[in-house]
Amino acid sequence: MATAPYNYSYIFKYIIIGDMGVGKSCLLHQFTEKKFMADCPHTIGVEFGTRIIEVSGQKIKLQIWDTAGQERFRAVTRSYYRGAAGALMVYDITRRSTYNHLSSWLTDARNLTNPNTVIILIGNKADLDAQRDVTYEEAKQFAEENGLLFLEASAKTGENVEDAFLEAAKKIYQNIQDGSLDLNAAESGVQHKPSAPQGGRITNEPQPQREGCGC
Amino acid sequence: MDQSVAVQDSLKEDENCIVAAQCQFFVNDVIESRLVSLVECKSEYGIFLFTHRRMAITKDDISLDKVVPITKDCTIEEVLSEFPVLGADMTVRITSDSVFLELQLPFSSHSQRFLDETCKACHGVDMSEDPCPQFLWLSKYLPKSALASDSEKKGAFIPTAAFKGIETEASDNKRKTGTATVNGKSQVSEETKQNIQNISDNNAVRDGKVKPEVNNDMVRSSSYTVANKAQMLAMPQFELRDNLIKCELLKREESYTFTKNYRFFVGTYNVNGQSPKESLLPWLKGGIEPPDIYLVGFQELDLSKEAFIFSDTPKEQEWSKAVYEGLHPESKYAMIKVIRLVGIMLLFYVKKELAEYISAIEAEYVGTGIMGRMGNKGAVGIRFNFHNSSLCIVNCHLAAHTEEYERRNQDFRDICSRLTFRSFDPVLPNLPIMKHETVLWFGDLNYRISDVDVEQVKKLIDERDFKTLYKYDQLKKQMEEKAVFDGFTEGELTFQPTYKYDTGSDQWDTSEKCRTPAWCDRILWKGKSVKQLQYSSHLSLKTSDHKPVSSIFEIGIKVVNEELYKKTFEEIVRSLDKMENECIPSVSLSEREFYFKDVKYMQRQVQTFTIYNDGQVPCQFQFIQKLEEPAYCKPWLTAQPCKGFVAQGAKLEIELEVFVNKTTATKLTSQEEKLEDILILHLERGKDYFVPISGNYLPSCFGSSLQALCYMREPIQDMPPEHIQQFTLMPLHPQTEPSNTLEKQLDIPKEVWMLVEHLYRNACHQADLFQQPGLRTEFEEIRDCLDTGMPDSLPGSNHSVAEALLLFLDALPEPVICYSHYHKSLDSSGSYTQCKQAISTLPQCHKNVFNYLMAFLRELLKYFMFNNLDRSTLASIFGSLLLRPPPGIKQDATQKKKVQEFIEHFISKQEDVS
Ligand SMILES: Nc1nc2c(ncn2[C@@H]2O[C@H](COP(=O)(O)OP(=O)(O)OP(=O)(O)O)[C@@H](O)[C@H]2O)c(=O)[nH]1
Ligand SMILES: [Mg+2]
Repeated sequence: MATAPYNYSYIFKYIIIGDMGVGKSCLLHQFTEKKFMADCPHTIGVEFGTRIIEVSGQKIKLQIWDTAGQERFRAVTRSYYRGAAGALMVYDITRRSTYNHLSSWLTDARNLTNPNTVIILIGNKADLDAQRDVTYEEAKQFAEENGLLFLEASAKTGENVEDAFLEAAKKIYQNIQDGSLDLNAAESGVQHKPSAPQGGRITNEPQPQREGCGC
Repeated sequence: MDQSVAVQDSLKEDENCIVAAQCQFFVNDVIESRLVSLVECKSEYGIFLFTHRRMAITKDDISLDKVVPITKDCTIEEVLSEFPVLGADMTVRITSDSVFLELQLPFSSHSQRFLDETCKACHGVDMSEDPCPQFLWLSKYLPKSALASDSEKKGAFIPTAAFKGIETEASDNKRKTGTATVNGKSQVSEETKQNIQNISDNNAVRDGKVKPEVNNDMVRSSSYTVANKAQMLAMPQFELRDNLIKCELLKREESYTFTKNYRFFVGTYNVNGQSPKESLLPWLKGGIEPPDIYLVGFQELDLSKEAFIFSDTPKEQEWSKAVYEGLHPESKYAMIKVIRLVGIMLLFYVKKELAEYISAIEAEYVGTGIMGRMGNKGAVGIRFNFHNSSLCIVNCHLAAHTEEYERRNQDFRDICSRLTFRSFDPVLPNLPIMKHETVLWFGDLNYRISDVDVEQVKKLIDERDFKTLYKYDQLKKQMEEKAVFDGFTEGELTFQPTYKYDTGSDQWDTSEKCRTPAWCDRILWKGKSVKQLQYSSHLSLKTSDHKPVSSIFEIGIKVVNEELYKKTFEEIVRSLDKMENECIPSVSLSEREFYFKDVKYMQRQVQTFTIYNDGQVPCQFQFIQKLEEPAYCKPWLTAQPCKGFVAQGAKLEIELEVFVNKTTATKLTSQEEKLEDILILHLERGKDYFVPISGNYLPSCFGSSLQALCYMREPIQDMPPEHIQQFTLMPLHPQTEPSNTLEKQLDIPKEVWMLVEHLYRNACHQADLFQQPGLRTEFEEIRDCLDTGMPDSLPGSNHSVAEALLLFLDALPEPVICYSHYHKSLDSSGSYTQCKQAISTLPQCHKNVFNYLMAFLRELLKYFMFNNLDRSTLASIFGSLLLRPPPGIKQDATQKKKVQEFIEHFISKQEDVS
């Protein structure tokens, strides 16, 4: 059987930040395991997940770092921002305080990552619309003012979870394509697979063909 | 964790430990842990294996077990298991002509680095022009016994049949084969090449690369060389994943493929050096329904000497054209590949619309003629994938002459072993014919009808009794004896022998030799889903002394259902993701948070917790630094061990110790700092755990400043924290106390008074006062007493109280003679007047304490008969505490002398400085 380029050619590092209890770990878990954790313990440290996704036919491995949201760990989690290609900044749409803290999270994200880091704002717990404390429009405006991607999602139902991770990846990939993200720069957060002999195919992409010879 | 330090510690000066990693090693079927390391000396490399303690830190923790010099014949390779699991241990095999070692390394960056570095070293040795490494530096490490056994082999380290040597030989062989036949291959006409290139760019590019370079052949002929191994190891994760996915896809092939039958036309024709003279349509049409694939073989395309020597013949074009024109008229065909070796040619056509499902085409040839190499006999082969099935087609011309059937058998075996195809992955060995799902093998096999006379043969032919005639067929007999074509099938022969006719007729050979007719031209197959629909010869073609033979096969081909394939693929990728996530090292901690209650000055507190590896892989942990911090923890804290290795299911106890001494006490007492820290327990390649540490520190006079203590009329621990903070953070008043101070300052700290008073009252007669150490427990009582109350007398022996006084003076953040006065004081040590002058400018409370202490020392000296004290002893003890150099400034012997002189002035005279 022929070999094929099954594999990913990029690794993107992501961090997930935001107040405690906004659902960062649940988002990661939903994304990697397609499951919801109803009683998820507080993250006391930094957790780690990976998944391969596809953007424009390119396989990309996301390496996602989920950080502790508790205020007392704030100083420590700052060590982890470095070298992130993407940052998911999460708040809880049912708790206004988590939204109010965004500017401080954003300051950290901007100061501690590189200028090309793609930041996506995620309003989590969209399933709890009845308890909504932050409107979509308000957050959307905040995102626009600060040049962030924005989505409301639910780690519980899975709604928009894939998209959140994908949208950021698309943007990063686009930055690579148009050259604004320099892969060789230290801390770009992106690793590129060194070129390997390209294989044939296992899928049936049409190949150019020709009339027989000798005629 | 990095244990290379321990290894380096054990090495000689010019030897260099490049990398060390923990590994498992089989010793008499028992797994033992070893430290394996790569050591360099003068550009020579050796692999050192040590037995070791759990956490090797110095050379005493390790002991050398084995040394393997990296000679030119040494190979290092990662042994990939059939279904490698991501994150699983890696097995590394080290082989040379004197060594065979297999090590198992945990999946970690250290292991990877070891592998990378070792391969690099190995590669370096291999490439080096230098004479063979001598490894003289290694001899000292070799035990006597090892030397003894080596001496039998005489210089086992000096490669005898070096890896490189063997390699060269192999490539030479290949080259010899090449020169005889390589032209045969390049013979493919330009136009044909063009076609091939267009059918499959990939293949064409690779063909182009390989042909002119014997070097590339070298790479191909050995399944692994250090060079491509190293390249492969460069991206272990990427590669590993590729292989995993491939394996999984193969395993689940049935779930996304279905079998579809395709019509294959196979033809073989020995044309006896003739040019085409008639249409080949009768032979090639192959029935009403157009075949999907044509595989057409010729033998004896050109019998001229030129063809044999120069391998260039116009016949190739002529016959290719004739074939193309004779293909089934109702379909359009694309030429996929041509391969020719002198007169043996194989053409491969496919219906145009199916061309896109053909991939991984490789063509090869093998000569079995004169000297077992020349191309007048031999075989050409094409391998390819059609949809998801692999096929191999062989067209051969075996040795002639009736009695030579053994040679023919031999030729077959030669072809089987020598005709191999490059596999796609340069790391994998070449693909032999028999590794394909379907093999179609045909040609002029040259087996004859023997043990029966010509007349009888012709009679049987006339009667069309082919069954009886078949009994005399050599191929049948040889196959029954399993001497040749084992595992192959041939359809029933229902046509008369195809050899030998008078050219241009249907007449049996009328020449002098009058050869017995024979079924020379045959078609066989091997493979599960092959059904022969037709097997016949074509008498109407009269160009040659052979008749062409054809067969139509219906072959079941595994066709990919795109949707199911995508689904399976996604599933595999997902499950790998899942596996990878599960393989992220993980541990559980018996305790997540620590509180150290009532921490006291100079009193150790210890708490422990266990790390339990509940993950699926072994893990290395380490407490790591936080951003912009100098160490992994605050100076009052230590974690023991601070890095290490925990096997799966294993536990390790970590000790956390809090100890506040003079360097940390001051800021804790002043509350500028708190007993608070967050340790980061980092797992290599895995999660990080935050371990918050906190506690409360009981403020103490030890580590507090003289001025602050002068403000405290109560024991420090009875003071409200805000007051402590206020007094301790207050800047030092330069001379006298400012009038606006809220409270009246004490002249000297009550703690100093209590200590000195106690000694004055009880210890003047004490022998060896200030010379004999006190007891730690008594010190603790004295400390508590000073910090919590004001009893009339202090607990403990005189020695303990004396030591407490010294410790107190030592812990002062600002010494009695302030840092700012240090240089001035030393400069004045020659003159008492100047010394007094220096003291007179100290802040009031410091001056008071100084005078008080000096008076006390003078008093003590009066009892020198009892307490054995003398001026210079006291001056040097107290000098080193009262007149300390500012931080970062070193004291030399003359300065020490000056300090002593300075104090001596004061204890010799009977007056205070005002
Ligand atoms: N209804 C609802 N509950 C959610 C959702 N996401 C998370 N939760 C719940 O919110 C709680 C906190 O979720 P976590 O994922 O642990 O929050 P976190 O941001 O990781 O918190 P820290 O680790 O402390 O920083 C859990 O009890 C979840 O079950 C959601 O989308 N909808
Ligand atoms: Mg969490």
